[in-house]
Amino acid sequence: MTATTTGLPSAEATRPRTVLVATMFGSSAAFITFAGVLLVYVRARATAIEWFDASSVELGPAGFIFATLILSIFTVQWAVQAINADDRMNAFVALGLTGLFGAAVFNQLWFIINDTGFTLNGSTAEFLFFVVNGTFIAFLIAAVAFLALTFLRALVGQYGPRKADGVAAAAFFWNTVVAMWAIAWYVVYVTK
Amino acid sequence: MTMTDSPPATDTAPAVSSPAVAGLYDALTTTDHRRIGRLWLRTGLVGLLGAVVIGVLLGIESTDAASTDVFGGDNAYFQMWALYRIGLALLVAAPLFIGLAMVVVPMQVGSTNIAFPRAALGAAWGFMIGAGIMVVSVLAAGGWGATDRATGDERDAVALTLVGMGLVIISILLASMCIATTVISLRVKGMTLMHAPLFAWSMLVTAAVWLLTLPVLLANLVIAYVDLHNGPGTFGGGLNGSVDIYHQIAWLVEQPQVYAFAIPALGVLGSVVPVAAGVRAARHAVSLGLIGLFGLLAIGAWSQPFFQNDGAIPHDEQFLFIAFGLAAVLPVLGAMGGAGDTMAKGKDAIVGLPAAHLMGALGGGLLLLAGVAAGAVRVIEPLELGGSADAVEGIGTLAVSGVGNLVLFGAITAAVGGFWFWASKIGGHELSPMMGRLAIADLLLGGVLLGGAQVVSGFFDTVNDPRFVPTAEAADALAWISTAGAVLVALGALGVVAAIAGAVRRGPAGGDDPWGGQTLEWSTVDGVFTEPPALVTSEAPLLDRTELEPEVDSTEGEES
Repeated sequence: MTATTTGLPSAEATRPRTVLVATMFGSSAAFITFAGVLLVYVRARATAIEWFDASSVELGPAGFIFATLILSIFTVQWAVQAINADDRMNAFVALGLTGLFGAAVFNQLWFIINDTGFTLNGSTAEFLFFVVNGTFIAFLIAAVAFLALTFLRALVGQYGPRKADGVAAAAFFWNTVVAMWAIAWYVVYVTK
Repeated sequence: MTMTDSPPATDTAPAVSSPAVAGLYDALTTTDHRRIGRLWLRTGLVGLLGAVVIGVLLGIESTDAASTDVFGGDNAYFQMWALYRIGLALLVAAPLFIGLAMVVVPMQVGSTNIAFPRAALGAAWGFMIGAGIMVVSVLAAGGWGATDRATGDERDAVALTLVGMGLVIISILLASMCIATTVISLRVKGMTLMHAPLFAWSMLVTAAVWLLTLPVLLANLVIAYVDLHNGPGTFGGGLNGSVDIYHQIAWLVEQPQVYAFAIPALGVLGSVVPVAAGVRAARHAVSLGLIGLFGLLAIGAWSQPFFQNDGAIPHDEQFLFIAFGLAAVLPVLGAMGGAGDTMAKGKDAIVGLPAAHLMGALGGGLLLLAGVAAGAVRVIEPLELGGSADAVEGIGTLAVSGVGNLVLFGAITAAVGGFWFWASKIGGHELSPMMGRLAIADLLLGGVLLGGAQVVSGFFDTVNDPRFVPTAEAADALAWISTAGAVLVALGALGVVAAIAGAVRRGPAGGDDPWGGQTLEWSTVDGVFTEPPALVTSEAPLLDRTELEPEVDSTEGEES
């Protein structure tokens, strides 16, 4: 007669969403880096005797950037939805559009920086204005690069309905960058 | 005939096996978490050796700072002092725990590899390059500013130090992402976070705290770097590379942030003690909570000069800072109490001299407890150990450094205990128990003398900055005691390295489970799961299996 060991059943394999989880951690770190810079700006402004003139930083272009980024939230989520529905063409269009919005934001931000006439070694206020916007640009470039990489990986068929977490991760990081601008827009451009 | 149910195959890819292909190519391309972990550990050990040598030299200089000139000038003295303080946290404690985690955590949670092994490898190399840049630039008169205002080439060296430190931080963050993702996403089925082994949990908490706080340091460095090159001269770096840069980032190695480098010590304690006692850990859920609480109280990025309003109450006299300082004692005390409770339950299993790993875990815990207790004393404002030293307002007394040293040497001692405990998993070696006891005893005694003397010296208004020579007679005696501690610590570090080198020379030895472990890593053979881990239903799955085995044996007995 055969005896059967009645030990613990073996575990089933899991399908972890590692890319998405890691991106959440990475996005948190990126957001905190930006918040660290922004807090120094706020603290310096709170204690400064002189700050730059409110008219030297126009709200209009910064608002356009915000509007562009709001639009990009929809396009990036469109990409996630499309990849989940296995609609690859829509996913490519959505990712491409989001990247294009990113390039547009970069262009508008460059205009703002030139328009202000600030210099890096001018006053503390001007210096911090550069650092805040420069840090944002660095994260914007990172987000566009992430989207481009996701686009390429989707192009070679690495993402699909059963494995869409890479696209969701890129979207998460993009939305984090949008959140960064939402705060910077209010702190730097609205309240000045 | 006896038949055992064979488990179904899983679709998780195993780590690339470790054939006898060694050398630089392998170190640059491996995706085996054990090899990557060993890279981190080697880096941490090199950092430890460097740090203890600098520690001894600093000690010699401090015993007679007025006439002794070990480093060739006040500027170099200050730079090496800053390198020692920052290096002990960033270049020693952090890589030692990351290395241990890279090796142990995947196995503990039942995963075949770390999440994103290439990123983990990239982080290891990025860390090494960043650490190299940091150290070389400090030797080239860089560091975190100069006492005589850096100019010319020195400014470039200061900038290089900031770049190297930035690279080190980014690498630590990347490694933290890999470790945290492994614990969150790659746990074997059945293992909820409530069942996570304490070391894996402590590394998750540590990674989370690092991810929440080190980016703020990165922001500090970005501002100082840009200010140093082109800025208006408002943010430390701009003051022609003044030591303001160091005082801006010193929050990293002061309480509460310095505690973030010691959180895994509680995990080592929680992993080692139940195994040494041969019993199930008492109140696992409480231990999880205590480690989480300690992590919460180790978040210290808010207590820095950049966030301090001019004219406001100094941050170390504010309620939050005092509350954090006092509360931090509770989780460490609770963890030590839990360890004591567990040991009391299994006291029969502990006979004779304690094993090296038990000594390391308990000793590290005690040193950490001494550190947080000293930290609690330091925040008591009337004692004026913090920012109100007579000589310099805002810098604080040497007690601030003493707290950091007690905490960091507690962490390092616990990490060394972890080496001895998980040696068979790290490299398949068995480390000499006697060498381990001696090295750990040296580290413990040295840490107590070094950090303790500095804490006491704070009561004599010794300023926490080497530019200010202490005036009190007692401070001289305490400097000698502190130097003796530095020498003992150096001997302990040498002992650790010698024991590891000896074990590597002897080759692999010892079994896969020399201690009768309770968590999943002990069911691996040569670090690899030969069968998928069993369904986890508690924090000690191997103990569960052992408790079930008598039933199996009796069944087999009846059949035969």
